Amino acid sequence: MTTVESPAAATRGIRLDPSSLAQTWAMSKRSTLALWRQPSLVVPSLIFPLFFAALGTSSFSRATALPGFPAVDSYLDFALAGAVVQGILFGSTVGATALATDIENGFFDRLLSSPSTRSGIIVGRMAGGMVFGGAQTLFFILVLLPFGLSVKGGIAGVVAMIIGGTVLALAVGALMSAMAIKTGSSEAVQGAFPLLFIALFFSSAFFPRETMSGVYGTLADVNPISHLVEGFRDLTIEGFSGSAVIRAILIPAGLAVLTVALALRTLNNRLGAR
Amino acid sequence: MTAIDQNTTGENRAPVRSVAVTKTWPASVGLMRRSLVNITRLPSAFIPSIMMPIFQSIAFSGTFFAITKIPGFPTDRSINWFLPLGVIMGCGFAGIGIGFATIKDLEGGFYDRLRLTPAPRWSLVSGPLLAAMFRAVLVTLIVLVVGVLFGARPEHGALGIIPLFVAGVGISAIGTGWGLGLAYRFGDMRAAAIMQLTFFLIIFLTEAQTPLFIMEGWLESVTRVNPFNDVIRLSRLGFLEQPMTWNDTWGGLAAIAGFSVLTLLFARSGLKRLSNN
Repeated sequence: MTTVESPAAATRGIRLDPSSLAQTWAMSKRSTLALWRQPSLVVPSLIFPLFFAALGTSSFSRATALPGFPAVDSYLDFALAGAVVQGILFGSTVGATALATDIENGFFDRLLSSPSTRSGIIVGRMAGGMVFGGAQTLFFILVLLPFGLSVKGGIAGVVAMIIGGTVLALAVGALMSAMAIKTGSSEAVQGAFPLLFIALFFSSAFFPRETMSGVYGTLADVNPISHLVEGFRDLTIEGFSGSAVIRAILIPAGLAVLTVALALRTLNNRLGAR
Repeated sequence: MTAIDQNTTGENRAPVRSVAVTKTWPASVGLMRRSLVNITRLPSAFIPSIMMPIFQSIAFSGTFFAITKIPGFPTDRSINWFLPLGVIMGCGFAGIGIGFATIKDLEGGFYDRLRLTPAPRWSLVSGPLLAAMFRAVLVTLIVLVVGVLFGARPEHGALGIIPLFVAGVGISAIGTGWGLGLAYRFGDMRAAAIMQLTFFLIIFLTEAQTPLFIMEGWLESVTRVNPFNDVIRLSRLGFLEQPMTWNDTWGGLAAIAGFSVLTLLFARSGLKRLSNN
């Protein structure tokens, strides 16, 4: 005798039996391969942060002597953290847009009507973004090294940044996936993208908080992106330290817990509404 | 009414030139109205074109506020430096947005119907151009008002605002020509990506973020030869604590005139190619 589980019940918690893991793995593989097979979707999130880093290095080199600016060898060292976070924020919308497209073209419904694990559908989609987030971090470091980038944190610092990048991609991917599940519209997901852009600009991604003043400085102070960027930045310009690792990994991890819960809850609500 | 008139004996004859000339303006105005009516009918498409330059002006002013502390910086108000950049971006995208709309019209078949009408071919370029220029005035005005609320202060009074409007309207004309030319040639959304990317690159490879004397390395060399840097300079003339001189003005005007002609001819030839196909 088989028990019939309600769709909503199937998303409560992530099941870890071998079958669920195999299904999640298959869907993770699908989302990762999709990024590889459609480079036009991901190339902008690799090129634009590099362009801005190059632009900033030429434009703001003299600004590094201003009071409040941390001691850096060059603006490029300072800019790496902003480039990594910018690239991940941009790239993480790709997976969520693909999820919304799956909903729009009916593939999501076919997955739901199959006996696959519900949470695996979401986790699998985010896994592609996580792999890409880690790869982006490494890519930015490797590309900028020949242009004078120096990572004071060494190999351990680079590894910490890759882990931080991977977790941040999960956090942002989950947030955007919640939006995709809620609206079922790829246009809505794309439309929400400027919000990430605004969050990025009202942070210390491009300039230190110490040089900002007034409302703008206050917003940057309370913006969690400022603190995680500074974790990445400290690993680059100061060296490997517990404080930097905590900010670079634990802040995105905390965000990820919240956003993954939100994504699963949104899926649960969507299934419950059927 | 058709483009080919018949005389009393029933012979076909080509339309006389004066008839075509009188048709171009009303047709252009009709197409401009069609484009402008979307501002109220599809505000979701227009509002971002207003919000983007406002956000950019404010965000850049706040983020890069400290650069005004660099000795020799031409203003102590960062919004005075970044507001004209926001206007230029907004107005450029007002022009390029016309290219997006044209792609939709091409894909939806509306353009085929338009080309079957007796509307003069130039009106298919000049109509959207008028619409883009009108939008550019609107964008400049709104961004300027919001910028003033956020602390922007034109240093040369009303006279200083004129170069901002001229640069805004001019860059929208260039954006329209470029957008239409690419839309006619590609006919699909591939053109949209090229329009945005090229415009974005060409504007940021200027004194967009910092003055030339602060720059170092490759960007300084590129900016020195980029004619669009003169357009950015023109837009900032009235916002900097330095005299408005003809030396700082003519380069921008020449760049606008030259690139407007070139891109609009590029659009016209693209339309011709589309018609031939």
